[in-house]
Amino acid sequence: MLEEELTSQIIDQQKFKTELAKKYTTFLSKYPEIFSDLISGSDFDFALYDSIEAYDNRSPVDIFNVYCNDHGIEIRPGRADDSDLELALSIKAVKSLIQTKNKVEYAQLLGYFFNNPDEEKGWIDFILHKRTQILIDMGYGRFARTAGILEEDDDVYSI
Amino acid sequence: MSKVKELEIKNKYTGEVLRTIPADTPETVQEKIKEVHASQNLLKEMDFFERAQLLSNYASKLRFKKKQLKDLIVAEGGLPIKYSEWELNIVMTGFRFCDWYYQFIEEKTLTSIEGEQFVRIRYIPHGLAACISPRNTPISLPLYQWGANYLVGNAAIVKPSTACPLTMIEAQSMMEEMNLPALEALNLVIAPGNWAVDEFLKSPLIKTLMTITSSHTAKDILVRYANILKKTVDKSMGVAMYTRPFKNFFFECAGNDAGIVMDDVNLEQVAKWNVMASYTNSGQQCFSMKRLIVHSNIYDEYIEYLIKEIEKLKYGDPTDPSTDIGPLGSRKILMMMEVMVADAKKYGCKIYTGAEKIDPGEDYGLFYKPTLVEIKPELCEDLTDAPFLWREEAFGPVRSITKAENLKDAIKLANASNYGMRAVAYTSNLETIETFKNELEAANIYINARPMLTDITVALGGIKDSAYPPGCKYYPQELVYGKYIYDGTPISLGKLK
Repeated sequence: MLEEELTSQIIDQQKFKTELAKKYTTFLSKYPEIFSDLISGSDFDFALYDSIEAYDNRSPVDIFNVYCNDHGIEIRPGRADDSDLELALSIKAVKSLIQTKNKVEYAQLLGYFFNNPDEEKGWIDFILHKRTQILIDMGYGRFARTAGILEEDDDVYSI
Repeated sequence: MSKVKELEIKNKYTGEVLRTIPADTPETVQEKIKEVHASQNLLKEMDFFERAQLLSNYASKLRFKKKQLKDLIVAEGGLPIKYSEWELNIVMTGFRFCDWYYQFIEEKTLTSIEGEQFVRIRYIPHGLAACISPRNTPISLPLYQWGANYLVGNAAIVKPSTACPLTMIEAQSMMEEMNLPALEALNLVIAPGNWAVDEFLKSPLIKTLMTITSSHTAKDILVRYANILKKTVDKSMGVAMYTRPFKNFFFECAGNDAGIVMDDVNLEQVAKWNVMASYTNSGQQCFSMKRLIVHSNIYDEYIEYLIKEIEKLKYGDPTDPSTDIGPLGSRKILMMMEVMVADAKKYGCKIYTGAEKIDPGEDYGLFYKPTLVEIKPELCEDLTDAPFLWREEAFGPVRSITKAENLKDAIKLANASNYGMRAVAYTSNLETIETFKNELEAANIYINARPMLTDITVALGGIKDSAYPPGCKYYPQELVYGKYIYDGTPISLGKLK
């Protein structure tokens, strides 16, 4: 399927607990192609945390999930029924991410927050709910690279 | 025999004392071994996936403290800050996705010729492991040894290098902060000198000794264990009966990796990767590309590219993000580089660049400029008479380059080594690629690969003098044994009741 043919749908947006999650889901819905490496049926959580301590306690201020169907993505409030993984984001990171102008800038900033986690500036992390090999087969490795979370090795250390 | 009670850990660039830490004594080492051994059942209370999840969570902790850890790695290890990123990433990736290793130790059913399935192979942890780590990686290798044992359910004692133990001490305190279950089954030994190895060898509680060290040190450990066995031999029955048990020895040793450059690739690109693969961490890496073998058609042109890239390398303050080459780990390494270059000169070898030292006369701030030495191919074939730089591992920033007339010649030169950790080759010819895969004598073959990969699939070990046992790849699979279980109950129970 061509990127421009991918669709996105936000379901029950009024059920989100925070305005920030509403804004973030609206932002993500503009770029369903970010998720195009994932196989249909993939479903994972985006959890927003107000501190690292809250993350340690697994107490997000808001949570939604992105489900990949045959045509694109559906964004739903709450946790996925059988979540593949959780992408954890600090509120500060989300506030910055939704200010980015395009998906390239978004991916770069997401990668920055992953590789330079900072309580003040923002951070992201992830928790795997399924075995690594299953997630690789579902396309999450490629997704992580597209989303900016995994860097090219040359970028990690380049002379 | 040095059994000091305190150790001063110094900054490798400035000489500043970073911390003074208590050191173990033979008595405290034995005490720690007993404590850890007594706690090893705690690991068995969790299954593989519970332990994997905990290590994955720990990888998050490491990431959140990345800056602090990087600063320590740079200070006590002398690694340039940009390289410390790789040092941390390789271990964080390994921990984050460690359940991936399950594929190597998953219980298997065997099917007999008659189609029956009464046999299962179940993988059992060997038991308490003692792990010894080198000075060139303050965190990745000691933590990887530790994590691999935890993952499969072995208790472990890890001895980081006394030149740079602070990063591992910090890593241990992070485990304590997160209340990592069964942490009692893991501990660090801070012990200078060879006597710590003897304490590990002497202890009957230690089932496995794993080290990352030079091949010669590894052989010395075997000799020392042989001496311990000899001392305990019982001849009362008229034959020699050795009362000490076997131990498992896993040695990941030196590399003297060949890097072949054929005449059908983008030389500028390969030269960039080559320099990264050869001089990263001042060349103090077992898997560094050490012997460069270049096709004669492009030899001179390639050398020009290579020198250009080598001379771009910036050495100096490792905290500077633009620094490529940090200080050497010890004066011994500096001396070894000087000896290797002096020896090569005796053979009439040409020095293309480098061969200069920076020596403030102290045990810190030591540098050897990135060096490229040409060795004529005819000097490389007879290993009994080859220059020291060709036949032994140059664990510093000195690299050799030689010329191959054709593919066959390149393979012959690459295989002219007592070591077989990795071999790297660059070519765009698909048939040549297959020839390299089949004929290069190394446990790990990299074709057209970017250097410094952090992927979970990156393997350890080697063949020849690069590893013992030969071909070991991923610690989790080396740290278990396959228990053969034949259960004939389905067909025999009726007869036995």
